[in-house]
Amino acid sequence: MSKDLRITNNKFIDQTTRISFKFDGKTLYGFKGDTLASALLANNIHLVGRSFKYHRPRGIMACGSEEPNAIVQVGSDASMTEPNTRVTEIELYEGLEATSQNCWPSVNFDIGAINNFFSPLIPAAFYYKTFMWPANFWKLYEYFIRKSAGLGKSPTKPDKDIYDHRYLHCDVLVVGGGISGIMAAKTAAKNNLNTVLIDDKINLGGTTLFQQNECFKINNTYSNEWLKKEIESLNSLKNLTIKTRTSLAAYHSYNYLLARENLTDHLDINEKKDKVRQRLWKIRAKKVIISTGAMERPLIFNNNDRPGIMLSSSIKKYIDYYGVKCGQKISLFTNNDSAYETAISLNNSGVNVNSVIDIRDKTNSIIVKQAEELGIKIHWKSSIVNTNGYKKINSIEIMKLTDDGAAVVGEKIKEQCDCLGISGGWTPRVHLFTQSGGKLKFRDEDNVFLPDKSELDQISIGSCNGDFELDDVIKNSVTLTNKFLNVDNNDYENLEIISSKETTKKNIWLLPSDKLLSKAKQFLDFQNDSTANDIKLALREGFKSIEHVKRYTTTGMATDQGKLSNMHALGIIAETAGVKMGELGTTTFRPPYTPLTFGAIVGRNVGEFFDITRKTPIHDWHVENKAEFENVGQWKRAWYYPKKNESMHDAVQRESKAARDSAGMLDASTLGKIDIQGTDASEFLNRVYTNAWSKLEIGKCRYGLMLNEDGMVYDDGVTTRLGENHYIMTTTTGGAANVLSKLEDYLQTEWPELDVYLTSVTDQFATISICGPNSKKILTKVIPDLDLSDKEFPHMSFKNASINNIKCRVMRISFTGEHSYEINIQSSFGKSVWEKCFEAGKEFNITPYGTETMHLLRAEKGFIITGQDTDGTMTPVDLQMDWIISKKKYDFIGKRSLYRSDTIRDDRKQLVGLITEDPKEVLEEGAQIVSEINKKPVEMLGHVTSSYFSPNLNKSIALAVVKNGKNLKGHKMFVPMKNKTINVTITDSVFLDKDNKRLNA
Amino acid sequence: MLNYNSPIKDQKEYSEIKISEVEPTLKLNLRGKKRDFITKIGKELSIIPPSDPNTSSGNEKFNILWLSPDEWLLYSNDKIDLKNTTLLEEKLFNEVSKSKIGSIANVTDHWIMLNVNGKNTFDLLSTGCPFNFNNFKNSKNAVTQTLINHIDVILHNKDLNNLNLFVRRSFSNHLWSWLNDSSRFF
Repeated sequence: MSKDLRITNNKFIDQTTRISFKFDGKTLYGFKGDTLASALLANNIHLVGRSFKYHRPRGIMACGSEEPNAIVQVGSDASMTEPNTRVTEIELYEGLEATSQNCWPSVNFDIGAINNFFSPLIPAAFYYKTFMWPANFWKLYEYFIRKSAGLGKSPTKPDKDIYDHRYLHCDVLVVGGGISGIMAAKTAAKNNLNTVLIDDKINLGGTTLFQQNECFKINNTYSNEWLKKEIESLNSLKNLTIKTRTSLAAYHSYNYLLARENLTDHLDINEKKDKVRQRLWKIRAKKVIISTGAMERPLIFNNNDRPGIMLSSSIKKYIDYYGVKCGQKISLFTNNDSAYETAISLNNSGVNVNSVIDIRDKTNSIIVKQAEELGIKIHWKSSIVNTNGYKKINSIEIMKLTDDGAAVVGEKIKEQCDCLGISGGWTPRVHLFTQSGGKLKFRDEDNVFLPDKSELDQISIGSCNGDFELDDVIKNSVTLTNKFLNVDNNDYENLEIISSKETTKKNIWLLPSDKLLSKAKQFLDFQNDSTANDIKLALREGFKSIEHVKRYTTTGMATDQGKLSNMHALGIIAETAGVKMGELGTTTFRPPYTPLTFGAIVGRNVGEFFDITRKTPIHDWHVENKAEFENVGQWKRAWYYPKKNESMHDAVQRESKAARDSAGMLDASTLGKIDIQGTDASEFLNRVYTNAWSKLEIGKCRYGLMLNEDGMVYDDGVTTRLGENHYIMTTTTGGAANVLSKLEDYLQTEWPELDVYLTSVTDQFATISICGPNSKKILTKVIPDLDLSDKEFPHMSFKNASINNIKCRVMRISFTGEHSYEINIQSSFGKSVWEKCFEAGKEFNITPYGTETMHLLRAEKGFIITGQDTDGTMTPVDLQMDWIISKKKYDFIGKRSLYRSDTIRDDRKQLVGLITEDPKEVLEEGAQIVSEINKKPVEMLGHVTSSYFSPNLNKSIALAVVKNGKNLKGHKMFVPMKNKTINVTITDSVFLDKDNKRLNA
Repeated sequence: MLNYNSPIKDQKEYSEIKISEVEPTLKLNLRGKKRDFITKIGKELSIIPPSDPNTSSGNEKFNILWLSPDEWLLYSNDKIDLKNTTLLEEKLFNEVSKSKIGSIANVTDHWIMLNVNGKNTFDLLSTGCPFNFNNFKNSKNAVTQTLINHIDVILHNKDLNNLNLFVRRSFSNHLWSWLNDSSRFF
């Protein structure tokens, strides 16, 4: 630390606690409470990085989130390093390591700086114009362009930090803890409103916190002292929650806001361990008060980007808050009174202020007079036409402005300095207001966009609402807050406020130079290196819309989102195009206001919590028996059970063979189950399914197809009649929730006259399916007292039974074409019953099989899987299931659509079977089917929906949808693949046991 | 003899948070619109199903939670012998379903009941639940159906910082892990 650049100031930082950190490999020191920016400045380091395009040396310019230049890479750990971090927002901690970005080999000597010499040749849109041809060279260009530009390095390993989310609901959310935000929060909380006050800084108070000046007093005390007492008084308010280090990232509709709270970023590396790094607050507020203040504008003049050129108000904060002098010989350049506050602060702290260069003719406000009385030299009606110093400013050149401000005249004065403060007025932070959909209005008097209309219950107060004088801020904030909250708070009614009033205003968006515009470097967007000249070029090339100019020049498109550049860009466009700024409008303000880490967005939804998983009651058995799992919806379903060194193909072949030859068992618990009761239950099913249900006997099961309103197959399953008015419906695994919602929706809105009640019982029952020639023998062992004779228990029927006194339902239904039973038992006993069945089946070599074998077995029988063999465009007729459409029923969902001209076309895609010429050739699911190989363009007739090698048929089988397929049986077709063409023949979709002998065996 | 298997079989304690599975408990889904339905349930259980949205009624044996204008969840306060759960179910089924005045469905194993209590209960829920608990947490016997970490749950506010949480059995493992992971940071 340079002792010369520190003054004693223990109000906000702890100058008794020294902290070491590294910048570009060099160990430096700061104090507890410093930001990296203040610590670097205290070490006399202004040069922090290089600019994006021209690699010009750049230094710290601001003290907050608007910082465009000083962005660094924090940390070097491959999993924790973070690029593009603003030094102004990094709180100093022991062990902090930061490095400059966008430079090689070092920030002091950067090879890329050669771009600066060629800058006249690479104006705005250089890349667009130059690298557009030949088009296929772009990959090559891109590699080099990206390498030379660069914006830090992303971590290459998973983030070890922990992030969290939390929801918060409040009556009033106050965003911004400056003087107006503090008063508003206090008012709300005192009136029994559940209030939350957030601020991105460590301390509340905004700039008033360190405003100790005779020109700004409240009730005869300095404004900072008065505010300090106000802040202290907040601690006693029970309804108030204060969150500091919390940045409002996004403001969405219906007062839904996202805020990021930094919890450990400021802690020493050892203290961070196992703690949540950042928390994303998801806030629902009944009312929102925005008090985000205003940002100081820069001034646009030749070579205005050198290290050491800083915003005037930032220089003030560094001296008054951090006790850091930004230089020993500081000049100030302004168009308003704010710079004089800085001049006085510097003077009071013993820093030599060279002069103030003011573009105005003269002003007589109190603060300017105070500065004059302190002997500070002022160059009225003057402008800076150039700055000098490569890695840090060392002098400025000053000339007089003409009366109209359009040019400079007279003698050029050169003034030595090591820091230049610039102040171009103030821009209200209206970003959040506009993010929420609010409309802006333009105030010509001081060229600011202000909040106007909003559909949401919100207001803006203080500087973000265009009040820049202390008395206006307080009076207007109080009035607006009381009205907005509908309260009558008199606490701030009789305050005596002394506030310097700005009496003269003058603004020049692009300050004149003694050089030609094309020879000058007047930077607008410091991070993206776009200049005033670039804007003018864009206008000359015909771009008029601000959105187009923005994209052409990349102004406002850097990580700072143009916080400091947008207003000047608009101003220059308006002046050049001869339109009013208010009519020009602004670019779109999009969230986040400041960059969010991916970690904060994702929260704890990583690793095992990346997605939700559902498990069946038998899941643990599958795990114990080494099943491989597949995701079906959210479910983890046993996919196949590989034995030692067995591939998936081998396992599936073995499981399929066992199920056909003896017995197989499947965990079918994931099927959706809906309990249907009510006197109109049969009529309800008649309306839901395409087939008839009224005559289904109690104790019998029936397969049903459910259509969408457009006549396309939506879901399918077996429904069982348990009693006169009682059914249990099964749905597909993935469709269960949607089917229940759809049916409930129909009952509530379309068929309220029906006496029907639905209850989801999917999780109530474990479902164990036993299939194969020996299934009956196995079930007899499990439930000895159940009569399984075909007469008493035929296919498609059900029985109530009990296993060891636990009641269960047994259905004789089959999805494999084998003689099969499904046991439905309370989930708590599912695993035990599964084990019992497995034990009973051992003598028959019962084989557990997973979903892959289930798919193969059903494909052998030509049974469809909704969602695999259908895709929302298949009618029952397309599936060659005409038999399931009742001709007698008055209506069912989708009936009318089945008779539209399009749905009765003969050449619709229809479900068929495919047999390959080579029986060992297994088709790829999704492969296209054509009738002529050489026809161009290729006419694609359909595609393969399911394909397997059947061990039971000893050949490859497939299901497919093919145009006019049902009339093409026996026709040869082709399946073109990458390296070959496969010859196939269209067949019936049922490959095995067409007479259902096995089913009824 | 079949073995009973609940999915969690555990209880955990963190800073001002206790989470435990409370199973087996009897749970029945009750549905009906007719006045006779309310009368019958009231007579059989000595509890009138509440008509006010998001409320509950109960006695020393059972609670009935309002789920919708014609749907309620009945659950027992105490753990039960699962073999006997069907007695009440059958009785109500005969009196309600077979009498054509409503519907009774056993959901004992469909829902898993977790008890969450302690001063940080609602802070824990707010890590993954968008519901506004500001009024709920002070309303004894309040009920809500919401999402925690995208999983459907029913919450029954039993007492100050003490609630019963119902989650579908298939989701219960995941939610349990998630709640425990979240509790680490209190």
